[in-house]
Amino acid sequence: MTGGRRISVAFAAVFVATAASIHVVTAQEQHHHHAHHDHSMVLDRDGMVMNANADVLPKDCTEVSADLEFEVRVGRDYARRGLTFGYNQHEWVVPPCARVTVTLINEDQVRHQWMVHGLPRYLYPQGMFHLEVSGEKRKSGTFIVPSDDRTYLAHCDIAQHMEQGLKGQVVVGSGNGTLPSIPGISAQPLPDDYASGR
Amino acid sequence: MQWPLNRSGLATRNYLVDRVRPNVAGSVTENSSASGTSAVRFAYLIGVLAAFALTLWNIPPAYLSAEWAAYRNSWMGGSKYTEAPPSRTVSVAELDIDEICSPDFDTWRTAHRIDGVEIEAVSDCAPDNPWDIAVSVRGANNVTEATLMQSLFAPDAVEKGDDRDGDGDPDVIDIRLEVMELNGKSPDGSEVVPQFEIGPGITPGFWVFAPKTRGMTTINFESLVANRIVRLPAPVIRIEQGDEVRITLENSHYLPHTIHFHGLDHPFKTSDGKGNDGVPVFSEHPIMPGKARAYQLQPRHAGTTFYHCHVQPHSHILMGLQGMLVVEENRPNNWVQTFNIGAGRVRSPSVAVREQYDREFDLHYLEIDSTLNNRIQRFNDPRLVSRSIHRGYNITKRSADYFVLNGRSFPYTLREAMVVVNPQQRNRIRILNGGSEGLALHFHGHKPRLTHRDGVPLSPGQEIQRDVFWIASAQRVDLELNTVNDGLNAYGAGAWLLHDHREQAVTSNGIGPGGDVSLVAYEKYLGPRGLPLAVGGLQSLAPFFSSAYYAGELPVFSGMAGHDLADPEQRAFGATNLWYFWIGILALMWLLIIVPLRRWRAR
Repeated sequence: MTGGRRISVAFAAVFVATAASIHVVTAQEQHHHHAHHDHSMVLDRDGMVMNANADVLPKDCTEVSADLEFEVRVGRDYARRGLTFGYNQHEWVVPPCARVTVTLINEDQVRHQWMVHGLPRYLYPQGMFHLEVSGEKRKSGTFIVPSDDRTYLAHCDIAQHMEQGLKGQVVVGSGNGTLPSIPGISAQPLPDDYASGR
Repeated sequence: MQWPLNRSGLATRNYLVDRVRPNVAGSVTENSSASGTSAVRFAYLIGVLAAFALTLWNIPPAYLSAEWAAYRNSWMGGSKYTEAPPSRTVSVAELDIDEICSPDFDTWRTAHRIDGVEIEAVSDCAPDNPWDIAVSVRGANNVTEATLMQSLFAPDAVEKGDDRDGDGDPDVIDIRLEVMELNGKSPDGSEVVPQFEIGPGITPGFWVFAPKTRGMTTINFESLVANRIVRLPAPVIRIEQGDEVRITLENSHYLPHTIHFHGLDHPFKTSDGKGNDGVPVFSEHPIMPGKARAYQLQPRHAGTTFYHCHVQPHSHILMGLQGMLVVEENRPNNWVQTFNIGAGRVRSPSVAVREQYDREFDLHYLEIDSTLNNRIQRFNDPRLVSRSIHRGYNITKRSADYFVLNGRSFPYTLREAMVVVNPQQRNRIRILNGGSEGLALHFHGHKPRLTHRDGVPLSPGQEIQRDVFWIASAQRVDLELNTVNDGLNAYGAGAWLLHDHREQAVTSNGIGPGGDVSLVAYEKYLGPRGLPLAVGGLQSLAPFFSSAYYAGELPVFSGMAGHDLADPEQRAFGATNLWYFWIGILALMWLLIIVPLRRWRAR
């Protein structure tokens, strides 16, 4: 119980921090996000957007509760000590049924991703919303989250990138817990032994 | 009887007098005391002998040397005949063909024509994806979106343009590589990620160059298995003589790396004055994690060359950062297949190769010391990995335990690393020894002709035919495998073994057959999905496809008609015997240590 309270306090704190970087867009501003609504892949030399959805509501939502837009910066400069890569923040808190537009800004010269898992499969093939950006490029995409309080994994699936720091969580409402190994937030289940030899 | 026995009877009395003390009342006479003590002593002696016998009788055979066991047996009824234990029944894997070879790739084997690219049919169980090949030949910028989508390449993995010499093929080639880790550590679970098996259940850690990929490194989110283009070996890269080639390394790994082009014509500096030789200290700083750098090449000579990381090369090369780079002779309308994923058969050979040969094969050999490679499975923090790889590991103490051909050990070589031929053919085989030991490559049933060494053609007088080729570390040889049945070039059709004749190399950590064993297999000796026809059928191959075999748990000879050479059942040493043994030991300890100690203290 204490653990649960501690987690929700952490959530609240991060929510405040997150809110600063989110701004609510007006109806007019929304218009240009409608390009990616076919739940498929938009691919070019800069990267790709997969399963973007700005229009179709999850079954459990009656309306879009809020329009949120935030930037995710990714690169070496955001790495915690002992890791190689990082996002500028590793937790994003959004209200249930929110429409979220994410711009992934890649500050490295290699490919990075921001891939959300566990979304409803009837809306998002393989339960996935995915942004991928080549070095020093940016990509935006929109998706609508369901209504239930849940914590979703957001990560980079390139070999060792999640293990090296590109792991975060999208918390809808109050979420349903904290994922392991989130840099700055939660412990690794199998941490390194710094007392060990070579 | 008194003890110690004294034949003269003189010392005995003194002994008793010394030891026996009258009680407080002084009523115990010396005689009565002596007789009581002698009974106790008698019991003590019997007790010691009984405990000793109990222990000796029940001592587990494993605790005795062979001589002592025989000695004991001769005393304790070992002369009577005992039947040897029966064979242990082992469940030899009963795999069906779908488990040995997936049906998923049946449509990939046939000949394809994709975006104008002719792709040869192959028989391999695990063939290359034809759309990957089409993109490799045309460039991702010259194929339809549908073709690119069916490949796994990023849109800038390979781009081709500018026919500078007007001969009908592109001469400006842009290639992008990433650095990927296979079978590394995860702080979230004990399984290695992403997984690449060189053999059943065998997953040493690797670093590889991979063509710039799109999407996930794994097959899908549910799977931990690496996708088909992120694998060992790094891709064979093919370019045309005279092409202006830019190879950009995007270092997506957590340690610094470079590329050195070994045996390939390249200037020491790029056109903008940057290091182009890939060697830290003398040419350039290593490419740090998250950074990228372009290397420039315009090779004036054709030939089989070698590319590898030159950062701490004694460990990085052997971690897998190495590949073949083939410069094809310049010809008109010569669209070369830029990537040959996983090496092996080239399904869209160059014009010059097609002029002279029926088929072309790339064979990349590597030997692995898992005590180096598995260090990446111990740590997550790059500082700890670096210290362990670069300072903890001492290559001068190296001993290789795994041996791969095109990234696989037997039996997985049967899926994709065989040289599949027909009679009356001329086949070109390009070979790289990427390991740090020599390779004694032996062809059963054939004597190929050595045509090139280190990419340089030999004059006809220098060309030699033999059945064992000694290939030094980093060396490349091109062979012509002629399948004319004349008793010299070939002895006729068959499923002929192809392997390194250093005997350790035909094993996987000492279990054989394993290692780099493969086949020169004639098509008529292939069964369904291109698996070789084994004596005893598919089921006789099945045991090799189980990890239990390479864990040493399956006997070499089992299920062979008329002979039983499976492992005997371990003859269980009875649990009661073990109890008696320990009771005997405890009794002896009590009688020989505790009792004398208490008596001594009572004095």
